[in-house]
Order: sequence, then structure tokens, then C-alpha cells
Amino acid sequence: MTDRAAGPAPVDPFLETLVGFGWALRDAGVPVGTGDVLTYCAAMEPLDPTDLLDLYWAGRTTLVTRRDQLPTYHRIFREWFLGVPGPPDESRPFNRPDPVEAWAELQLPEPEQTDEEREQEEAPMGLVGSTVATLRTKSFAECSPDELAALRRILRTVRLTPPRRRTRRTTPADTGRRLDLRRTVRAALRTHGDPVTLHRRERRLRQRPLVLVLDVSGSMADYSRALLQWAHVTSRATRRVEVFCFGTRLTRITRALEHRRPDDALARAAEAVVDWEGGTRIGASLDEFVRTWGRRGLARGAVVVICSDGLDRGDPALLETAMERLARLSHRIVWLDPHAGSGGTSLGMAVAAPYVDETVSARDLAGLEDLAGRLVALR
Amino acid sequence: MTRPESPAALTETLRGGGYLADRGLATAAYLALALDRPLLLEGEVGVGKTEIARTLASVLGRRLIRLQCYEGIDTHQALYEWDYARQLLQIRALSESARAEDGAVDALFGPQFLLERPLLDAVRAGDGAVLLVDEIDRADDEFEAFLLELLSDFAITIPEIGTIAAERPPLVVLTSNRTRELHDALKRRCLYHWVDYPTLEREVEIVTVREPGVSAALAGAVVAAVHRLRELDLAKPPGVAETIDWVRTLVVLGATDDLDPEAVADTLGAVVKDRDDLEVVRDRVHELTR
Repeated sequence: MTDRAAGPAPVDPFLETLVGFGWALRDAGVPVGTGDVLTYCAAMEPLDPTDLLDLYWAGRTTLVTRRDQLPTYHRIFREWFLGVPGPPDESRPFNRPDPVEAWAELQLPEPEQTDEEREQEEAPMGLVGSTVATLRTKSFAECSPDELAALRRILRTVRLTPPRRRTRRTTPADTGRRLDLRRTVRAALRTHGDPVTLHRRERRLRQRPLVLVLDVSGSMADYSRALLQWAHVTSRATRRVEVFCFGTRLTRITRALEHRRPDDALARAAEAVVDWEGGTRIGASLDEFVRTWGRRGLARGAVVVICSDGLDRGDPALLETAMERLARLSHRIVWLDPHAGSGGTSLGMAVAAPYVDETVSARDLAGLEDLAGRLVALR
Repeated sequence: MTRPESPAALTETLRGGGYLADRGLATAAYLALALDRPLLLEGEVGVGKTEIARTLASVLGRRLIRLQCYEGIDTHQALYEWDYARQLLQIRALSESARAEDGAVDALFGPQFLLERPLLDAVRAGDGAVLLVDEIDRADDEFEAFLLELLSDFAITIPEIGTIAAERPPLVVLTSNRTRELHDALKRRCLYHWVDYPTLEREVEIVTVREPGVSAALAGAVVAAVHRLRELDLAKPPGVAETIDWVRTLVVLGATDDLDPEAVADTLGAVVKDRDDLEVVRDRVHELTR
């Protein structure tokens, strides 16, 4: 179907323009494959190539696959076909700190080790063991960069397993409420139509989605680095994890964390978060989360883990309505408190408390291990 | 009805069927027909994603086959299933000697015991049908992967019967409310279109097309009020479907050409469907009727 358009035509300037447009989009970060460009060319065949609107809409339906790519598409289209230089990317605010600077401390180098080095490191088991024991109860805030790097390695072993729930999908089983008619009838054929054994099905279990909402504001600066690493490890380990960051506004960093290499993933997350180490507006951020993401079903039936110290500069009433909505949407809400046990409760936490199912300390590694243990039991 | 010649012609045809499509949607639908590609529509709730499939089916003179997705939907509910009860009865009804015959068991898995589900139905109907896969985001990943396979070659293999393929594929419209992100592979198979809320003028036009008895003044007032509601940052902003519902409700209650605050307060339930939102809106009823 699409080959026709790609045809022989060695130097068709129009095709060249279309292909070039595809390249320009790719350069701008929209993942456009060769197949997509072929479809675009094929789409232009029945349309009017001199009509700018046809050119625009055909490209938009064939080259764009997500709503958030639309502004980029629009900009590149103007640049490519109209020669209008688009405005600089508006999504970047002016006061954003230089990412390199903001992450200078975060980008802890973890050089690729050769097997030999690894063996050497693993050899003194006792010593490493004792390091783990020490680090386990040491507050993240007091860790040196070296210790944080060590923590990151240990964090990989703290696997979060969200609780499971029964789905509507069934699977063959020995016991179960439902009859497996398909298998029963097949078996009955062998016994002249007498259903001697009844085969059954039961509902399958499936992990609930996990949503991490991390506070990266100034008051959490010492913890957010460790937590972000932890979020990365978690999103690699479990299948359905969504990660959000907030300070004064909410940012979804799930996609940014998809990189396998921690440094790349964290650097990309840092790019995405614009309000790194700024003020806190928990209420507004959670409200935005519930409105834009919760409403569409992302939080429905999920275990939501909020990590924040609850030092809110916004309106407590807003936080309360947001928490109430979230409690109705989600399965369970867990609040990770980095200052747990240090005495005193922040206003934000006091307001949120009635809607929180579990409060866990996020002060140190032991707290996160505790969370991992309690999460499975949150039925 | 033959295939429309251009997006503009399709827009006109759709208008004849009571659907006002903008240039983008018309082009997307036109390309879906011209390139035999599935069309994936995303957008807020109630902007007419499902309706376009219905209208396309009626104006193109095709049969609408609808598959409503839900959690746990599997091939037995979407594709085909054997009629087990009848199969069992058939075996029991056959005499001992008849059962021993060679073809007896084969006959049990013949077409007369096959229950067709929407997808098989659509493949058989080919380009005589519009297949609407509604709310694909509600189905799970496994089903999405299965659908991907079906959408790429429009052929279904039933082991006992053989392969059934569509000579010309049906027009497929998928809708998603984005409760979860769909896989890129599925999106790549499809033409993508984001359906936005219509502009004020267009929405007035939609209301008058759908409810011909309504005065232009009432339609204008209601649409303006709905647009203000959308700006209010509600948890559930009203869609076009709600606008039409609201107009209908007002007409039933005898409103003729203007919105008065009292009527708005009485009928708010038709357009605002969340308790928290209702509270927000109740305080601002007078702003809506300005």
C-alpha cells in the first residue's frame, strides 16, 4: 500500500520535502520512523499537495502519536513549510537552574566495572555487610556522596511489590467458581458426551498499579536525591509504576525514568522537573494530580505513595479536598515521611492524615525496607 | 455510498448525517478510508469520538459493529466462541453408531456451532462495515497486543475451520479516553487524531443540528454557559454530549429563548455530574447566565 508512493521516483522534490519534514520532526524529538514517513507520503497522494491544510492535517494524523507531541509538530510545520522561525520552546521557564548545576551532586559516577573489579569488591563480604548495616539506619540527609552511591546499590535489592487484586480475567484452575465450558466439553467428547470431570476457572491475580508522588522542594533537598534513585530502581523492577515529582508544580517523570542507565534516567528526570529545590505547594500539586491524571483513571485502584515532609505553603483546604478525592479514587495511600520520629507534625501532614492509610518513615534505608514489607500486605 | 472524493466532500456528507466535523477530523477520517488504516481517536469525555463512528457508518451505508472494551475482555468475547451447550446436546442426541462415524466430531466444530463475536463479524463483513472498538484503554495489554495482530492483516484463524480473511478491510475506529497510555506499536498501526472541544460557534451549530427545535438564542446562551463551566477548572468538565443533554432538559422544562438563573439551578445536574463541582458551580450560577 505504501510502497506505491515511495516508488521509483528518484528525485521528486515534493517527496524530498515530505521526507525532510519527517527528519526535521525527528530532530525535534518526535519519534518518526521511516514507515511513518511512507504513510505520510501515501496519505498525500489522494489529497491536494498544494493545500497547506491538507499538508498539515495529513502529517498530524500520520506522524504524531501522542497529544503532547502536537505543539512540537505545529512549530516544526511552521518552520519547515512556511519558513517561520518558531518561538523558542515555551515549556521552559526562565528561572530554571542550569541542569548541570542542579544535578552536580546527584550525578554520582558509577563507573562500569570489569568482572575483576567486581570480584575484588565482593570478596570481603563481612566488611560490605557491615557497611549495609551502618547505612541502613543512617539518615539520607547525612550521607556523603560515596555513601549515597553505596545506598543506590543496596536500594536495588529493596523490591517493591504492590498488593495484588483479582482481575476479571480468568485462568484454568483446579478449584474455582466458574466452569470452564471449553475444556469440559472437550473432555466430554472423549466420554461420549458425558461430562465426567468438570474443569474450572478462577479469576487471575494481578499487581495493582503503583504511583509514586515525590516532593523535590527545597525542604526535601537532602532526601529527594535518594528517593529519585529509589523511584528509578522501582520503576525498573515493577511493571506498572508511574512517577511524579512536585515542588510548586507537578511533573510526570515516568517516561524520563525509562532509561536503563541510572545516570541517564536521572539526568532526563532533572531536565523534566523545572521546580527543583524550590518552594512547596503540596495541595495545588496533588490537586493537579487528581484532576489531570487521577480523573483519567491512572490512580484508580492504585497504591499511591506520597513522599513529602508536609511543609506546605499553599492553602490547607485545597490539600484536604485533593486528599479526599485521591482517597476515593485510589486503593490505598501511603505517606512516606522523612522526618518521622523527629517529633512534631507539619500542618500539611495533619490535614492529610485522615486520608492516609499508612505512614512510613522515609528517613533511612530501614524505612524503605519497612515500606516494601508493608506494601504487599495492603489489601 | 461510494468513497468520498476529498475531505471537504466527507465533511459535507457527515453534515448530512448530523455530525459537524472540523477539518482535522474530516481529513483523518478521509485518510483512514483512503489508506485502509485504523483511526485512533483520543480526547476528553463527551467530545463525540463514538458518535463519529456511528455517523460514518450511517452516511457510508455500512453496518456498525461495535466492540465495547472492558477489563478482562478476551478473545472468546471479542472474536468467537463455540456454542458448548448445543455441542453437548448434539453429542448426547447422536446414537452410538452415529457417534462412531468419522465426521461426527468434526461436525461438532462446524460453522453451525460457532458463535460470532464482533471482531469475526467485522472481518467477514469487510468493507461493508465500520468496526468501532470503543474505549480500548479499558482493555488490558494482552488484548491490545491481540488487537494489533488483527488490525495488521484482518485475518482470523480458527483451528477447526480455517482462516477467514477480509478481502477489503472494514473501516476501524478506535476510541480512547486515555485512562492509560496505549502501546506505541498499536498507535503506529493507526492514524491518530486528538479530538478537542469545539469552538463556541461550532458548538452552537452542533446543538442546532442535533436539536433542530431549539431557538438560536437558547442554544447560544447554553453553549456560552458551558464554555464558562469549562473554564472553571472542574473535576469533570462538561463535554458536547452534556451540552446537548442540557439543552434537551431545558426544552422539556419549557425554556424558550433565554437562560434564567433559576432554570440553571434546577437543571444543573444535566451538565455538572460531580458533587464537588456542583458546589463550586452553585455559587456562580449568576455568572453563567450573564
